[in-house]
Amino acid sequence: MQIYLPIAELSMNILLIFAMGGSVGFLSGVFGVGGGFLMTPLLIFSGIPPAVAVATEANQIVASSVSGAIAQWRRNNVDIKLGTVLLVGGVVGSVIGVQIVKLLRQLGQIDLIISLSYVSFLSIVGSLMLVESLNAIRKSRAGEKVSRRRAGQHTWMHGLPLKMRFPRSKLYISAIPPMVIGSVVGLLAAIMGVGGGFVMVPAMIYLLRVPTNVVVGTSLFQIMFVTAVTTVLQATQNQTVDALLALLLMSGGVIGAQLGVRAGQRLKGEQLRALLALLVLAVCARLGMTLVLEPNELYSFSRLAGGH
Amino acid sequence: MPAFAGKACSRLARALIFAGGLSILMAPVGVALAEVHLPPETIEADISTHEVAVETDFAGVHVIIFGAVANSRQRVAEDGLYDVVLVLQGPGERSTMRKKTHVAGIWINTDSETFEAIPSYYAVVSTRPLDEIADASELDKLGIGFRHLNFRPVRTLSPERAKEYETSIVRIKRSQNLYRIANVGVAFIASSLFRASVDLPANVSVGEFTVKAHLFREGRHLSSYSTTLDLSREGVERVIHSFAFDYPFLYGVLAVIVAVLAGLASTAIFKRR
Repeated sequence: MQIYLPIAELSMNILLIFAMGGSVGFLSGVFGVGGGFLMTPLLIFSGIPPAVAVATEANQIVASSVSGAIAQWRRNNVDIKLGTVLLVGGVVGSVIGVQIVKLLRQLGQIDLIISLSYVSFLSIVGSLMLVESLNAIRKSRAGEKVSRRRAGQHTWMHGLPLKMRFPRSKLYISAIPPMVIGSVVGLLAAIMGVGGGFVMVPAMIYLLRVPTNVVVGTSLFQIMFVTAVTTVLQATQNQTVDALLALLLMSGGVIGAQLGVRAGQRLKGEQLRALLALLVLAVCARLGMTLVLEPNELYSFSRLAGGH
Repeated sequence: MPAFAGKACSRLARALIFAGGLSILMAPVGVALAEVHLPPETIEADISTHEVAVETDFAGVHVIIFGAVANSRQRVAEDGLYDVVLVLQGPGERSTMRKKTHVAGIWINTDSETFEAIPSYYAVVSTRPLDEIADASELDKLGIGFRHLNFRPVRTLSPERAKEYETSIVRIKRSQNLYRIANVGVAFIASSLFRASVDLPANVSVGEFTVKAHLFREGRHLSSYSTTLDLSREGVERVIHSFAFDYPFLYGVLAVIVAVLAGLASTAIFKRR
């Protein structure tokens, strides 16, 4: 059954949209990742204009991060104060990002920049995950215990001004690093349509030394608000949020995620992470190919809204 | 006065003979005059529906265009005396056309031109291939065919550049099934009645379409008729689209509220398990 998407302005099979939402939701349930970095390329591959794909995906992430954040909140795993500082940075990043999107659309380079951002991020994240999971597999075969790095006591960041106390995370650090991390995440949300957890979680653990039990909850708290702000900004500035597409993706995604969580509990971690890494690299290669290979049609045209 | 009468008689006879002869001589001229006074053929056409609603499940639409030749001189449809050419044209859209070139190993948009009015849709449907119906000059006068589309470039373009961009527009639109020339789409079903079915694909944009019907006989253009077809958004689809463009901020806020509710609903549904 075909459904006409009002903002993407094309007809798509409704079951295909459900299936895409469901399978990405399943993967995010299994791996505990947001899934935006897989869903946006998938939407682009299926013909949705890249600018609409990133804005719509930000809208979908609002739904998935709300349910995730609530679950973490119940377990008291959210550092509200740190989350708020990250959020202030996130809003700044999002405002800048949406303006960049607007400018790039006028210049006709938005598709290129979205693809390039994805290729660079996915290749880095995919390779790091692959190396990490292969190491873990090797170590578990050798019977070694995975050692955890001790948090260092002092780094260069302790010399920065604007120090704040974060009791929940037992930290006394400058507000500047979390703001910068937050703004990078906001920028990614606007330009790539991702929650940014894959950048924020490692940054919080390794740079800010946030205790691991509050990392996921706090980042979900920030992602929930940043993607909400991004959705409103994209709708206002670019009119690229397809609410109907987002709603269909959400309903598929919610079911997929629940199944994924259950499946994930029965499956082995390292092998799965290696598989996810390979999937990320495959998506990256596919996007890279569209940039490198000569397209069948060198010309393309875009309608200008509000023209007479 | 027999002589006189006889003279008169012969004069009358001669007059009669002259008149008869004249009428025989004049016969073809008379027929020709009568033909000139035959009422001229004109074409009239209509569409199965003048308003097509593009709804959420819109998967394209078939429209039936039918019409008649008034004062038709063919007895049956098989006479093939007339040719009909239908031209459907969608609303002009302001668009930017971009060209990619190979830069530093990747393909990047490096060149562009903006056009004021690229018709969203253009179809020519006819009884026979166009070149069999009339000479190019005749078709040119009526503006039938892709090369007569005026996309109205914003800047003044050199002829080569204009041609390069115009042929690209037509090529892309044809590949999307939005521009087409169908040689055998129109069929006469009686001495004066014809009908055609035209496909508007799912990716067609909404707006007012003009529909022109041109009548030809033996390569000569006789008459034209034009009407309109309105494609409009309806249903959920229209509501979402106009809301997004008329009240973008409220639309964004509402999209977020829907997402939050969806998130809360999923938490509520799956909590118990």
